[in-house]
Amino acid sequence: MNFDFSDDQVALRDAVARWVERDFGFERRHALAKKGGATRDVFRELVDLGLAGLTVDPSHGGMGFGAVEAMVVMEELGRGLVNAPYAAACLVAPALLAGGDAAVTAPWLARIADGSALIVPALQEQGARYRHDAVATTAAQQAGGWALAGTKHLAPAGDEADAYIVPARMGPHAVAPIGLFIVERARCRVRAYPTADGARAASVTLAASPAQLVQSDALGAIERAADVGIAAACAEGVGAMDRLVAMTVEYMNTRKQFGVPIASFQALRHRMADVKMALELARSMSYYASLKLGEPAPQRRRALSQAKVQLGQSMRFVGQQCIQLHGGIGVTDECAASHYFKRLTMLEFAFGDTLHHVGEVSERMADTAGVFA
Amino acid sequence: MDLNFTPEETAFRQQIRDWVAANLPADISHKVHHALHLSRDDMQRWAKILGKQGWLGWGWPKEHGGPGWNAVQRHLFEEECALAGAPRVVPFGPIMVAPVIMAFGTPEQQRRFLPGIASGEVWWSQGYSEPGSGSDLASLKCRAERRGDYYIVNGQKTWTTLGQYGEWIFCLVRTSNEGKPQTGISFLLIDMKTPGVSVRPIIMLDGGQEVNEVWFDNVEVPADQLIGEENKGWTYAKYLLSHERTNIADVNRAKRELERLKRIAKAEGLWDDRRFRDQIALLEVDIVALEMMVLRVLSAETSGKQSLDVAGLLKIRGSEIQQRYSELMMLAAGPFALPFIREAMEAGWQGDHVGAAHCAPLASTYFNYRKTTIYGGSNEVQRNIVAQTVLGS
Repeated sequence: MNFDFSDDQVALRDAVARWVERDFGFERRHALAKKGGATRDVFRELVDLGLAGLTVDPSHGGMGFGAVEAMVVMEELGRGLVNAPYAAACLVAPALLAGGDAAVTAPWLARIADGSALIVPALQEQGARYRHDAVATTAAQQAGGWALAGTKHLAPAGDEADAYIVPARMGPHAVAPIGLFIVERARCRVRAYPTADGARAASVTLAASPAQLVQSDALGAIERAADVGIAAACAEGVGAMDRLVAMTVEYMNTRKQFGVPIASFQALRHRMADVKMALELARSMSYYASLKLGEPAPQRRRALSQAKVQLGQSMRFVGQQCIQLHGGIGVTDECAASHYFKRLTMLEFAFGDTLHHVGEVSERMADTAGVFA
Repeated sequence: MDLNFTPEETAFRQQIRDWVAANLPADISHKVHHALHLSRDDMQRWAKILGKQGWLGWGWPKEHGGPGWNAVQRHLFEEECALAGAPRVVPFGPIMVAPVIMAFGTPEQQRRFLPGIASGEVWWSQGYSEPGSGSDLASLKCRAERRGDYYIVNGQKTWTTLGQYGEWIFCLVRTSNEGKPQTGISFLLIDMKTPGVSVRPIIMLDGGQEVNEVWFDNVEVPADQLIGEENKGWTYAKYLLSHERTNIADVNRAKRELERLKRIAKAEGLWDDRRFRDQIALLEVDIVALEMMVLRVLSAETSGKQSLDVAGLLKIRGSEIQQRYSELMMLAAGPFALPFIREAMEAGWQGDHVGAAHCAPLASTYFNYRKTTIYGGSNEVQRNIVAQTVLGS
């Protein structure tokens, strides 16, 4: 049992942090958000940093790193509030393709690893909320492959992606097994829009869109990839909270009212102590999330839901309180804190909000509790 | 990064588990698992069993007769004891005063006091708080005046936990009024049988006698019972507080009590009530998160590679969780938490319970646990400390 980072992990963290420091200041982020969140050029810079194939197997040209390396990268991207669909395209997408038909997935995994393709999950259906088995999109077999019909919402950077990974029912009836398919953007109708955190997403309508079958009976693979997404969201949230708290501490020590720094007021000091508590509980559970990704499905899903409950609570509390501690300036667009707050708010929705995961933990509650249960 | 214990640590855990299973008296663990009243004899019996094995001072280094375990091993020992239903070791001797005697006592004091602490033979109490000195402990007034080979002690201590059983008491006393309040305090060991020492019970809101007032009326204390130097007592007290930082979170006991909460909820027909069950789920998340935070601290202490500023958070969170599980247990009992029959909280009572037997002590425990966010430095004082660290100002 140890929570030290290896030298390689520290070097990886430093490399990402250096790029954020040098090339992704708040001004750039702010300008990107104002432009509607276009992100492909930022993604390209992450590719140049060598991060695209981080978790892709070396047989496809990736680096084959594990969950802790992914966590380290996500923490730094969160700290920098980096506007790029990195987690979706480079962590969740490879997880969705892992275990699929190699003839279909191998070329895509190679293109993910070398950064030449941006392929994102398109999972969200209207009315499904956070249920992975609520899939109405259908797949019909046709000469030479499959054709999909349905609409998926909130595909990250959906108008810039080259292709989508899409779950669909492999038959006309509601209980038909769920398969995973790759659909190229050119074969879909795409409606893009900004999201509340200054990023960009798209609704993707499939109408007789030709698709490649990655895997049939894919619910387990989707759940596993969603857990990879939860761990990524947790780590990103920790990085973002870390930076937001540091920013707030600095503000409290410089902003003066009644002739003294506002950091001298006990009401605000205790609020900051509570914020620190929320942050450290979140960091603890982010570690837990990443370290539990390799467990068998029942333990993994229970652990990841527990982590998301903690992160959801912490991100909301830290976000809200850091805005409050900034006072009036905190609710302006020019203040970086407000942008961190918005991103933290969006991250609570990623792969299930707090209430959803409380339900999951409740369902999975067993007779033993604790980290080693 | 690795969440798993090493094979050596796992084997160590198993060794402890086997030993506890073979040596923890069943009547004692029964009381602990059912929150029934523990007598002085129960607590001391277990302390002496540990003492015989050399484990009552489980955090002690080998040179003083301890097992010399590292932070992870100590944690595993505490966890195995807690999960098996061992009573919490009364901390004043082995956890609190012993490390101070080891660090600042003379070899003669170490020879004189440590064996009785290690064996569990001598019951120690703590004399810190006073009626006018709670959170502001350094303002304490209990006076010790040097006269020849003695200190003459006059004053009052309060909130002395289980002081009614105490044989010795370590006290912070005022030996000087010069300079800052902190610089006039000394650390004195006092035999409670000395003439002039009197102990008066304070009855708590749950009806129990857990804490006491201790009065000192011209008590003669031999000067060789002063620890370290006169007027340096505050430094030793701070050293004491910095010791055993993770233990205070009490996460192992919280894990055990969460299971009891689940059993009570099932017995009360609440397991399928989503509103109630979700509250248990939230508590379960709180406990896992606290455990992870404790493990991070242990890992940092063991490897020495990181410095973590989360120790102050452990007491706050741990105590909040203790209050929460006691609250949920009481709520689970519903109206049957209301009967308050003291005999029903004793093991082996043959009378008629109102409602299920497990309901009898739940309100009492809930009332009693309000102390957890107050003692050991109130949670508000802890927040001051955390804020100081975070804000650096």
